Amino acid sequence: MSGADRSLESLWLKRSREFRKEVTPYFGYMAQSGFPLFVSLIVLSSAFGYIKLIRDLPSDFPITLVGTIALFLILSWSPLRSWLTMPDLVFHMPREAEMKSYLRRAFRRSAMMTSLLGLVVLLLYWPIYRQGDGEAGFGILLLFAAVIRAANLLGAWQERKLAWSSVRLLLRLLRWAANALALAVLLTSEPWQAALFLLLLIALFAVLYRLPDKHTFPWERLIEEESRTRRSYYLFFGLFIDVPTLPSRTASRAYLAWILRYIPNRHRLTYVYLYAGSLVRTEIGGIVLRLVVLFALILYWFAEDGWLSGWGAAAAYIVLLQLVAVQLGGLRHAHRYSVWRHVYPLPDAERASSLLIVDRWAMAAVALLTWLPAAIMLLLQGLVIPAVFALLAAYAQILFVRPGRLRRKLVEDAEEE
Amino acid sequence: MSEPILQVAGLTGGYSPRRPVLHDVTFEVRAGEMVGLIGLNGAGKSTTIKHVLGLMKQHQGLVKVDGVTLEENAERYRSAFAYVPETPVLFDELTVEEHLRLTGMAYNVAEREFGERQEQLLDEFQMKAKRTAFASHLSKGMKQKVMIMNALLSEPPLYMIDEPFLGLDPLGIRSLLERLVEVKKRGSAILMSSHILSTVEAYCDRFIILHQGRVAAYGTLEEVCQAAGIEARGGALEDAFYKLVTEGSQ
Repeated sequence: MSGADRSLESLWLKRSREFRKEVTPYFGYMAQSGFPLFVSLIVLSSAFGYIKLIRDLPSDFPITLVGTIALFLILSWSPLRSWLTMPDLVFHMPREAEMKSYLRRAFRRSAMMTSLLGLVVLLLYWPIYRQGDGEAGFGILLLFAAVIRAANLLGAWQERKLAWSSVRLLLRLLRWAANALALAVLLTSEPWQAALFLLLLIALFAVLYRLPDKHTFPWERLIEEESRTRRSYYLFFGLFIDVPTLPSRTASRAYLAWILRYIPNRHRLTYVYLYAGSLVRTEIGGIVLRLVVLFALILYWFAEDGWLSGWGAAAAYIVLLQLVAVQLGGLRHAHRYSVWRHVYPLPDAERASSLLIVDRWAMAAVALLTWLPAAIMLLLQGLVIPAVFALLAAYAQILFVRPGRLRRKLVEDAEEE
Repeated sequence: MSEPILQVAGLTGGYSPRRPVLHDVTFEVRAGEMVGLIGLNGAGKSTTIKHVLGLMKQHQGLVKVDGVTLEENAERYRSAFAYVPETPVLFDELTVEEHLRLTGMAYNVAEREFGERQEQLLDEFQMKAKRTAFASHLSKGMKQKVMIMNALLSEPPLYMIDEPFLGLDPLGIRSLLERLVEVKKRGSAILMSSHILSTVEAYCDRFIILHQGRVAAYGTLEEVCQAAGIEARGGALEDAFYKLVTEGSQ
């Protein structure tokens, strides 16, 4: 390895160390919150459920489907930490030819981390697989998983180099589908058949990746990927402590943006318009949307179960709503340091009350949407009281408790500034 | 006639293969000349520069720097130019001096030359007092100066400079222009995009007028004026530009 190569490799290591140093304090704050306890509770209860499951596996348990889904997710996921930022375009682009040595460490890190995760999933799956009709031994499964892992790392790199986003997305989808297919074949057929099939798939992709236009080094893609990963970290830490605001990603979300047109064109609604726009278009809106879908599904299952005569679903509804409320609370940081606060001919008090209006409407919509599927299920079973009680409790909180809390937080923020 | 350092031939490109932003763009920048790239906002100036940087893939056509395409010889292609982006991009964790050192390393500038050039640039751009300042503590104009100093430090055959005057103080603008004239005399090629037409006219030897992704006119002031159908004289670039872009969009 030449001196120049070594200097780029050590630059990667330096940046990796700096990132660790940067995020360590946030892990401290996270540890101080109830989060680790929450996670250990989930781990403990899942471990308990898992042991019970492998002791007496139901005869109709979908062994292949579960194995395919678990392994396909973990083996397809191929992240890469490049630590690259915009200034690298100017300062390191002249050394593009040597950047392979810079990324060597990134690949090693990604390979080690994802392989380890893959191994854990495989070890967890193995006792289930053994109880089915599968013919492969553990060694064979491990070998296949390793080959699929390596092929995915290489494939994901080829996809990063592709010039056109549409082709890249298509090939990524194809790669994920091929993984699922290869794993399903592995878990149901004889190893030699699976090996043949896997080789064919690898050969097919080797050809597919050659066809489209490619960059020699995907600078912009890596910079974008890195900033996305960083944002996810800070979004997570933001749940526990104030974090530096990174430039947020925006999505147009036409299916929600129509709401903005219905906000009347009035002077006093200026900040309502701004906050509603921020909610609809930024990451907070995206998270809230995903949570609504997920929670609506979970609550539907709870209600279908009729657990504790419907009170189980009602209690879960209130708890899950708090999680959405925490996320939505992040909106108060949206224009905290914005210049518009000082530019607009509006009193700052207007900002707080506008935020409360947007928050109230958003919470009311979320509460209704997550309630509806579960409520229909409960009402069909004649469990009217828990369904009605849950909704009333949620709206009482949204209308009478939450505004006061949010207002206090805004005052605290203002004092901190 | 001197060698073209940058050759762009029949370039059609953009982010999506279905929606090209540039259409059949052809021009070259030769050693020892400064070429002004001008156009309205959205005309395709930055897209052209991104294609030359190799950040975007052309749908058709050819881009050569120092006689090679990026695919043929990435090392030669990359080390043949320095780039000053429209918005300064610096590492927050590095000082002014450390940025210069990084550039020196990237372009293989020998230690002694590096020392001399660094001192001269710090002096010329009035940045001596800020040599140990972190980039995050600099004003926008100073950041722009650091970008320019870095480009000048590497002394490459080609400079690509995107809107260099934004945020620069009058002394900074003067130092930049003086240095550009100097590097040009020494044989470097410069492609500069700017909206300040009077400066572009005074300093550039030839002009590329981009309009809606196409070359509306290309050549010396006389040639551009001829394309616009007006008489060449001092200050004519602005009139020619106005005529070409308003007539082009009708």
